[in-house]
Amino acid sequence: MSDLMVMTQIAGRRCALHAHDVQSVIELGAVTPVPQTPDFIAGITALRSQALTVIDCRLALGFKGTDWSTDPRAAVVSVNGYSYALTLDAIEDITTSIGEPTQITGGFGPEWSRVATGMIETSAGPSLLIDLAALIAGPDEKSGDLSAAA
Amino acid sequence: MDDLLADFVAETREMLEASEGEIIAWEADPSDSARIDTIFRFVHTVKGNCGFFDFPRLAGLSHAAEDALADCRAGRREPDAALVTAVLAIIDRIALMVDAIEAGEELSAGGDEELIAALNAASEDDIIAVETAPAHSPASTILEGCDAFADEETAKRPDCPAAVQRSIRLPVDLLDRVMSGVSDMVLARNDLGHRLRQAGTQPTIDGPFERLTTILSDVRDAITRMRMQRIETVFAALPRLVRDLSADLGKQVMVDLEGGDVELDREMVEMVRDPLTHIIRNAIDHGMEVPSDRLKNGKREIGLLSIAARQSGNTISIVVSDDGRGLDEEKIAAKAVDTGLITASQRTQMGREAILQLIFEPGFSTADEVSNVSGRGVGLDVVRANLQKVGGSIKVSSQPGVGTLFTLQIPLTLSIIAGLTVEIGEQRFAIPQSYVEEIIHSSAKALDFTRVGETALVTFRGQRVPCLMLTQVLGLDVGDIDERDQTMVLLRLASGDLFALAVDRIHTHGDLVVKPLAPAVMSSGFYAGSTLLDDGQPILLLDVTNIASNYGLVSDARTRVLQTAEETDSKAGKDISRAMLFTDFHGRRCAVRLELVKRIETAPASAIDRTSASPRAVIDNAILPLIGLPDGPFPAEKVRFLRLSDGDSELLQAVREIDDAVELTEKLKPVTDDPLIEAVTLVGDQTVSLVDGHELFARYGEPPEITAKPICRLPGSEWSRSILGPLVTSAGYDIADESSEPKEDGSEICIMLEEEYEAAAALEMPIADKVIRLRSLPQETPGEDTIYRYDRDALVAALHKARAAGGNR
Repeated sequence: MSDLMVMTQIAGRRCALHAHDVQSVIELGAVTPVPQTPDFIAGITALRSQALTVIDCRLALGFKGTDWSTDPRAAVVSVNGYSYALTLDAIEDITTSIGEPTQITGGFGPEWSRVATGMIETSAGPSLLIDLAALIAGPDEKSGDLSAAA
Repeated sequence: MDDLLADFVAETREMLEASEGEIIAWEADPSDSARIDTIFRFVHTVKGNCGFFDFPRLAGLSHAAEDALADCRAGRREPDAALVTAVLAIIDRIALMVDAIEAGEELSAGGDEELIAALNAASEDDIIAVETAPAHSPASTILEGCDAFADEETAKRPDCPAAVQRSIRLPVDLLDRVMSGVSDMVLARNDLGHRLRQAGTQPTIDGPFERLTTILSDVRDAITRMRMQRIETVFAALPRLVRDLSADLGKQVMVDLEGGDVELDREMVEMVRDPLTHIIRNAIDHGMEVPSDRLKNGKREIGLLSIAARQSGNTISIVVSDDGRGLDEEKIAAKAVDTGLITASQRTQMGREAILQLIFEPGFSTADEVSNVSGRGVGLDVVRANLQKVGGSIKVSSQPGVGTLFTLQIPLTLSIIAGLTVEIGEQRFAIPQSYVEEIIHSSAKALDFTRVGETALVTFRGQRVPCLMLTQVLGLDVGDIDERDQTMVLLRLASGDLFALAVDRIHTHGDLVVKPLAPAVMSSGFYAGSTLLDDGQPILLLDVTNIASNYGLVSDARTRVLQTAEETDSKAGKDISRAMLFTDFHGRRCAVRLELVKRIETAPASAIDRTSASPRAVIDNAILPLIGLPDGPFPAEKVRFLRLSDGDSELLQAVREIDDAVELTEKLKPVTDDPLIEAVTLVGDQTVSLVDGHELFARYGEPPEITAKPICRLPGSEWSRSILGPLVTSAGYDIADESSEPKEDGSEICIMLEEEYEAAAALEMPIADKVIRLRSLPQETPGEDTIYRYDRDALVAALHKARAAGGNR
């Protein structure tokens, strides 16, 4: 099976997003911060008449600090009917996947295992396939409250 | 009233269609209690709706069917095929009657008694009585079986005369798509406009661009109207309902409606109609005591029923509260144990709140007697079921002897609300306008900003009101603006509680299109949605109710009722008069008591009619008497008014300048030489004449004439569209659609060119009663009542005269 994959860099690692999940890639304009929300919610921004929630993927994974460069572009994805703009290190390319996602013995590390569907081979090499819903739920300590509130 | 009737017909028919399947399923298995419940609800709703209108036959039939079904539900009677048949005959009869009502015909009398008798006799085998009953063939065909019934039903439909306004039904999804498409178009237009301005003036592009702008705003209005309706359409029927019910029951109830201008989706308006009616019926029937009991308990003999609608982001909350006897926890619990809803051991573990919510369970009722008005508690389980279907909720809180408060929450799939944009630090937030009671700068002396412990308090109209700092609430850095230099937005919650929110400054107010936020943001509990500013920047809409309840600022029913009682006491005890200061067109500094001021209005000078002895102005389609005009021409194109009201009558006071609301602390010195002035007093070392409200309303007050804008039909030429049209519109008329048929009821005024008129007269074509004839030459033809077409003054005067005549109809 070969699907189109959007290849990105998140927290210094290569990650793949299903291309059919990604609606578009936009130049991120002004972001309005949203006080009193978890850190990984960078704010909201407008795409035409739509409001997008901007998610910083690095913080959503649970990494602290900002040691990585940030792509001025953001990937727009839709999860459960809501649209999000994902900020990440870099949006690289679109390639095709080779085969199904597979698991690796020993996992991908605590931060990554939570959001990973598995490892996927692509024509650009192996990368981590990201489960968007898990990514957007934010780091573990928050995810409990969020699902309860939603 | 016609609208209501059409709604009733449409609703009943919809329910009929929906319950058709249930009816057939019930016939297959008469003991199926779920089906009985559905059909029971249908007849119950029909019975309830009949309360609005004078349909004794419908009410009689549905009441009889309801009785029989209630017996089945209570287990007093075994449903059998005969009963099913009799009930079906009645439902069929209801359908026939609804058809007749819609067509405006009288359904041939008779037959009802037989149908009702059949219900009671259904256990025996003499159901033949129904078949022999005259003048209702469907009722007898139905006896032959459900298949025939279904056929009959479909066959009958095309026969009913359709004199209804043409309309189509559309899926809401489609409307949503169109709506968001239009929103995108508006933003694209703004973007384009911005770029055009940068590029400088280009006449060839600017013209079409202007046209695009106009068209777009028209389309936007139309789309918005397609989906939105004011909740007023529901509220309008309530005072009458309350009046009739309380008269029937020998009770005295005053109804207080608030928030009628809250707009919501048409379908949502329909969703709240029934629940509200049910709750109001219950409140008056079971909640309110009779006047003698109320006096005994130390209450006013007139009960107060208040209904308030508020909108917050994607929810609207409607609070219905009464000051009746409240809900009896013990009685509810005992009844719930009796009917097997809960067990006795469960009961001991339940708190009062939880027990009260049991009234929403199906089959629950505490009323000792079954009455014609609210029936058997069927209402509330239907209410909850209907609200939950659209993702809403209902809660009740109550204190014995003090009152009951129902809170309905209904979501809005889409909403446009009036909002206030406030700023703290660098960031803007929106607050729904419906919460905003008043905006005061905190340096105002009357506000008396203090801190008690950590809690900030302000004084508003003699009441200490808690105050929240928005910066603290949102955990932002405190700006460089001093606490005492902030602006206070006083917010009133749907429960009636008041609190102040301190912000750095007020930015603007206007219509906001509210979009939902992602769950992760919503879960913070501070925001109700997001909205885009004109420049496309998104801002957050604050969830006022939630913020207030996080800080414990929402009281329960008890304290709320006590509070209002205190407020009235303090008003009566301590006579702090407040007045609105203004300067009139004669340069006098005047004051009018604040209680009289309903609103401050601004209107163009063209809305004022000075042709008659007593000048009038049109505000919001209401014609109001007007005083205080300058003798000469207006100094500006727009005139400000104080709209004064004594509850019934209204009048407008034209003012040059509005100063401020002040407290009248100095002594009032009565004045005798001017009857319109009550007294002279000092405000800030200057004398001020206090207007005598009694004399003012005795002389000038009039109940406002609510008029839709009158319609004016113009000659079908380019000249009249582009030159005459704007003049007619500014005189307060709507221009008739050229393709529409002229109305013969005298509600329209027609402007005709002289040639046209003569031609029409010569051809003996029908001519409207009210015609203004325009001649193209300045010279008058003797004997002809015509106006030169560029004689603006005469034309405006004629239009005003025609409207005055129309208004007196």
